[in-house]
Amino acid sequence: MALSNNNSKRALLSTGVLALAGLASTPLLAQDAQQIIRDRCLACHTESGTAEAPSFSRISEQRKTPEGWHMTLNRMIHLRNLQISTEEKRALVKYLADTQGLAPEETEGYRYLLEQDTNIVETGIEPGTAEMCARCHSGARFSLQRRTEQEWKYLVDFHMGQFPTTEFHSLARDRQWFDIARNDTAVKLAEQFPFETNAWSNWKAADKSDLMGRWRVTGFIPGKGEFDAWMSAAKTGEGKYDLDIEGTYADGSKLAGKGNATVYTGFEWRASLTIDGVKMRQVMAADKAGNNLEGRMFLAAEREIGGDLMAVRDQGAADIVAVQPSYLRSGVSTELTLVGQNLDGEINLGEGVAVEKVVSRSKDRITVIAKANGAEGMRSVSVGKANAELAVYSELARVEVQPANAVTRNGGADSAMAKVRANYRAVGYSAGADGEAGTDDDLRLGYMPAQWSIKPADEVAAHDKDDKYAGMINAAGIFTPGDAGPNPARKMSANNVGRLAVVASVKDGDTTVEGEGSMLVAVQDFVRRVLD
Amino acid sequence: MKLTNTFKSAGLAGSLVMGAALSAVAPYAMADQEYLLTVTRPNQLHVIDMSTNEIARTCDIPGPFGTGSIAMSPDNTHAYVLSNGTKDIYGFDIRNCDMTFKAEQSSPTLQVISMQSITVSADGTELYTVQNPVKKHRDRFEVMQPRLAVFNIEDGMNAKVVRTFPVDRRITKIATTAQNEVILGGADLKAINPETGDIRMVSKLANWEKGPLWLPPDAFAMHSQGEQANEYIMPYVTAKFDSEEWNFETAEWWWGMSRVDLETGEAERVETIPFEFIIFNFITDPRDSNILYGSFNTLSKHDISKNETLAVHELGHTYYDLNISGDGKTIYVGGTSSDISVHDSETLDKIGSIQLTGDMSTSDLRVATIKD
Ligand code: HEC
Ligand code: HEC
Repeated sequence: MALSNNNSKRALLSTGVLALAGLASTPLLAQDAQQIIRDRCLACHTESGTAEAPSFSRISEQRKTPEGWHMTLNRMIHLRNLQISTEEKRALVKYLADTQGLAPEETEGYRYLLEQDTNIVETGIEPGTAEMCARCHSGARFSLQRRTEQEWKYLVDFHMGQFPTTEFHSLARDRQWFDIARNDTAVKLAEQFPFETNAWSNWKAADKSDLMGRWRVTGFIPGKGEFDAWMSAAKTGEGKYDLDIEGTYADGSKLAGKGNATVYTGFEWRASLTIDGVKMRQVMAADKAGNNLEGRMFLAAEREIGGDLMAVRDQGAADIVAVQPSYLRSGVSTELTLVGQNLDGEINLGEGVAVEKVVSRSKDRITVIAKANGAEGMRSVSVGKANAELAVYSELARVEVQPANAVTRNGGADSAMAKVRANYRAVGYSAGADGEAGTDDDLRLGYMPAQWSIKPADEVAAHDKDDKYAGMINAAGIFTPGDAGPNPARKMSANNVGRLAVVASVKDGDTTVEGEGSMLVAVQDFVRRVLD
Repeated sequence: MKLTNTFKSAGLAGSLVMGAALSAVAPYAMADQEYLLTVTRPNQLHVIDMSTNEIARTCDIPGPFGTGSIAMSPDNTHAYVLSNGTKDIYGFDIRNCDMTFKAEQSSPTLQVISMQSITVSADGTELYTVQNPVKKHRDRFEVMQPRLAVFNIEDGMNAKVVRTFPVDRRITKIATTAQNEVILGGADLKAINPETGDIRMVSKLANWEKGPLWLPPDAFAMHSQGEQANEYIMPYVTAKFDSEEWNFETAEWWWGMSRVDLETGEAERVETIPFEFIIFNFITDPRDSNILYGSFNTLSKHDISKNETLAVHELGHTYYDLNISGDGKTIYVGGTSSDISVHDSETLDKIGSIQLTGDMSTSDLRVATIKD
């Protein structure tokens, strides 16, 4: 906790200098990494180019995320029999992600995969490519890679050689899969996701700021709720940090933990922490200035169980990082907490919103009783120079269940695989100016507390009693699927699979508004992947 | 045990007949004997006496499980099995489990697999398979053109390819006609002359010309077990739309098939069985070519001359494939798990079950008829 007091914090403000110092040491690291490639990979791969700018066959003409490189190296180890130590592997992933990674904007739209947020129905994958390539794994898997055309073609060849049944599957055998993949899909991918881009050359050339310092963190942990915390990052090496986190859940209970982080490609934050005895992982992206981190934190043992995570660097300036809850119902006195840092000065909750009482106040946390009047809409909240937004509404119009579509999996019992669970949250909306729910101008109010229940998805599911066998949801919105294996109590001794609707009931004044998500409870999936 | 097995393999059901057989090799007692063949995990070929529904013998197949694809010699005394991830082919004399044939197709630099495709020439001297070769360079793979590969069965335990001819991609089951053409079950049904490599179209599927309102067929023959009707069936799903609005809800969905008469090499293509449930395999009743049976989660009976489903029997679990006795009276439903379900072909009622030592998974369920 050395970094958590204000004196050491000030010493950390000059991050630019440190970043340059970091760059100066890069060539040495690069040579080390290149030597690992020479020693470990050239039994199969070949080197060309010059000693200063070597080129390695198959390796030098693709770019991918740290997880992407990790996955490739895993394959080299498990399927190609590459012999490599854990330290060498770690150093190579770092080097390859740093020198052949993706620029921040190249990862936009696909970060859910890196954040291991698997309960997402992908949109935005070009339909032709999706049919060809996104039926065994996510579309993000290839959308987060950049390759030359030749390398996209070799990737197709790899699939055919490794998984010879690919072209015989449903949705492959109805077309000339291999010819299309190699001569059409690979060419399109090379245009959409080319090896050389301006985004990457600019990012490579950009000064990257060191991410050490003191971070104001807000997030959500399933079963525990929303929290705010301080996290300090003490530098231990190039892109390596020791972490210390301390904070408070919304119900007032405390949270504390330690861990460490590695920053890849100048902005990809990957951390492992043990918080109150539970191993957690953080995946976040830094903005270009390196002052904001955004992503997700999840259980190391169960990546499906996690929630949003945000961190704002303490630079001495006043900042509101979250208003909890993020909404206020007109005419109802409600407790609000403003989470931030260096909060000085007058509290203003926006037009028509009165502070009835200040319950508690410190530099990083203010709790008030507030009451709103007036029209629905967003209000500007300020404390001194710090600003944020607050939604004011009069009637809850609809509730969105997140994830809208989820897959969980049977497990446990005698099976080798643990159950795959899912955690839910409810997001509330008011109808907006047009008074009609479900239109573009609906006002997003934020996460709301809900009562959770399940029901069969349709008549067939009801007939098969899926709601009885497929699993249960608890008060915190965590769904636990049924045991693995055939269930003699079910028709045809079916597994405890099922199709369910997950229902969130949110109280709003005297009424209750419901939202539904769809849940598929499936059998086990025996493959453990780095990336889906 | 050995003795019982011998009795069974002689195909003698009743005890009276058995007595006769013991006293002499009585020709009248040696009627055609049917055996059901299938492969279970870890990797065993079972020879099941269809007169008693008991396992007559079990032959160990070298290497890890392939897909359990089985082809028979024309006299049905030998079975050829894909093993070792479908890279290798082994042949057995099913009368005594002697291994008589072995072809290892892959090498460290060339990966060769066969997707279900094995068949034996009409005269029993050659074995055919469609190879899918991938060259393994040191740091990349190179996908090569599939080819029909010909082996001499006489070469026995060290068989090497004697001829190859290029063929289409995506070929699964193959079968030999009386004219010794090899039916290639791919996107379209074609036939290749294994002497010359000449290929002719037998039945267009992917390239059919049924008009715009028909959905191109999704055709796939993982199994094709037409030995009892001497035919090859390529099943498919298609739909007839009511307009160019392409409304999937209002379209008529059909099971169809291209059925090749292996005596003549001619095919008929019909879309006749309403799509009411999933059927993974069809077989034809040897007594009436209009009557078909299908299996998956149900065992069903269909009359294709009337577009009618005659009977449906819910199965206890999924069974991929099925076969039928030569007299058409008994149906055997297998694949997937470790039990073969036995049914009366008239009522589809379950009349028995054969428990095996492991799961059949995707394995074929073949009938070998040994004539004496
Ligand atoms: C024993 C041989 C062998 C060794 C050692 C080996 N590779 Fe490979 N590598 C291959 C083969 C074969 C392929 C092509 C098949 C594939 O993609 O898996 C390949 C492909 C690749 C690819 C392209 C993957 C893609 O997705 O297109 C990369 C990158 C790669 N190797 C990196 C490495 C690195 C880095 C090392 C050393 C740390 C290494 N390999 C060591 C055999 C090897
Ligand atoms: C039959 C299922 C299947 C289909 C279809 C498929 N993939 Fe894959 N793909 C896989 C599997 C399995 C892996 C994991 C390989 C491994 O273990 O490293 C993979 C890996 C990958 C990788 C990661 C390779 C690396 O090391 O970086 C990429 C990128 C990829 N696929 C892209 C594609 C594209 C592009 C297509 C369409 C042309 C496609 N996939 C179609 C199954 C499939």
